[in-house]
Amino acid sequence: MPPGFWCVRIREPSIARAAQPAQYVAIDLPGPFSLRLPLGVWTAEADEFSVLFQEWGQRTARLARLAVGESISVIGPLGNAFPIPAAGARAVIVAGGLGVAAFWLLAKELRAARVDTTIILGARSNAHIIGAKELATFGHALEICTDDGSAGFHGNVIARLATLQAPDIMYGCGPPAMLRALCNHANDRGIECQVSLEETFACSMGTCWGCVVPVRRGCKQGTQYPKAPGEKRDHDFARVCADGTVFAASDLHWPA
Amino acid sequence: MNNDAALDLRLRIGTAVLKNPVIAASGCYNRGAEYARIVDVSQYGAITLKSVTREPRLGNDMPRIMSTPGGMLNAIGLQGPGIEHFIAHEAPKLSTIPTAIIASVAGFSVDEFVYVAGRMDGLPNVVALELDVSCPNVDREGRCFAAEPETIAAVVSAVKARVSLPVIAKLMPNVADLKPIAKAAQEAGADALSLINAVRGMVIDVKAARPLLANVSGGLSGPAIRPIAVHAVWETASAVTIPLIGMGGIETGADALEFLFAGASGIAIGTANFRNPLVHIEVLAAIRQAMLERRFDTVSSLIGLARPDAHAVRAKE
Repeated sequence: MPPGFWCVRIREPSIARAAQPAQYVAIDLPGPFSLRLPLGVWTAEADEFSVLFQEWGQRTARLARLAVGESISVIGPLGNAFPIPAAGARAVIVAGGLGVAAFWLLAKELRAARVDTTIILGARSNAHIIGAKELATFGHALEICTDDGSAGFHGNVIARLATLQAPDIMYGCGPPAMLRALCNHANDRGIECQVSLEETFACSMGTCWGCVVPVRRGCKQGTQYPKAPGEKRDHDFARVCADGTVFAASDLHWPA
Repeated sequence: MNNDAALDLRLRIGTAVLKNPVIAASGCYNRGAEYARIVDVSQYGAITLKSVTREPRLGNDMPRIMSTPGGMLNAIGLQGPGIEHFIAHEAPKLSTIPTAIIASVAGFSVDEFVYVAGRMDGLPNVVALELDVSCPNVDREGRCFAAEPETIAAVVSAVKARVSLPVIAKLMPNVADLKPIAKAAQEAGADALSLINAVRGMVIDVKAARPLLANVSGGLSGPAIRPIAVHAVWETASAVTIPLIGMGGIETGADALEFLFAGASGIAIGTANFRNPLVHIEVLAAIRQAMLERRFDTVSSLIGLARPDAHAVRAKE
């Protein structure tokens, strides 16, 4: 892993066996009060699953410094899952940086479903490419893109995507700017695109409404509440933690 | 004689009787359905629903929450379906909740409070109404009903005249003196007071040099505000005789006992559910334990134990 990035393996059979592609867990760390840390389930085999994260604050620092064998409280698997197309379909997975964490389970499912899949991994540099080795085991086509050209395609994942033949479905997870560009790319071409979003969560359970994302009015994952009188915003909101984290690009309402 | 099964944990709020004094705070627990997937929510004496307004509300833009030292800041903006959609789509599900329900009402005028409270009166499982007269996130020209004795009295008395359910007024800590406000609510007919609502606060994103929350300010909750809340209960308990429901940063049984000892008859848990969904079960067990240790049969014996008058009583014994 690049410096400051971590992969932690957690033994909990009920989560490892049930986790679906793009699902996450909410981790409580020992110590003074903090909200649970939501992290996507990366690998899941037998009784263990793993999570990928970058150390950037108090919670991730605590997680990175747990001793081997220490117990923590984990709720999961949480959130919805990526849909899987029929056998023979062509899929492209687009991962930016740590967004790759959403895709080990998906790559495995797409392999099992006999979906012709290309995975595009993007990062700042070759040293920041995470997960390529683990994903390579599924035998999908794997493309690397780096901003500095130190490995693979010199440029971002969207630029690389534009050179490929249009697939039946695209999957995305990564920084907001990348996801927005991916959704625009898909919507402009009428390609189905499913993205897993990240937000700050308080409850991770769907009770507090702190992690909403603007969605098209009428979208199944939205509140379906009637429009408020005098409301100027023409979108609805959905909870990233409980209605997502996976949303169709055609349902997301990106701010202007 | 003094065994666990014989303990009387009941909390009376006007004509309502909760099976125990541990309540899920409004805005943190929905109807309990989400948490029911992982914990026994029936151990709550009551679940307070998210506040409902007359009209639907889309709520604030993002970001709505921010983690802060010892707690969190939120500005959801009363996102909700509005009372008619609530009655049509959510009220029918209330009968499936395995404990009592306190319905929370929010509004921007006395008429709105009265209308929504009236629609809530008589819904299945709803045993009391809480008036969110102190929601700090909604800008009513910078003022809240709970900021002044006259305005809180106007809301409480108008709602009391309309509904048969007991009415709880939820006070906010952002006032110079809670006592006259609490007294005014009691005199207007409030059956109990909840205190405290989240404390107003804000965080600035120094990189972008602008407020972090889209709403600029939000409500601070979590253990960071607990001493403020305990003090608010302590102060208010000397001013009124109606039951107080203490809340603000309760994470453990000891935290809950602080509120009871300060003079609260019940306690509510909000933010701590997010970290520890078992918190209500642990708090209830600690209250039972405190009763057993002191050979108390009724939970009301714990109320106000830290107060000077209680010490005077104990000194005489």
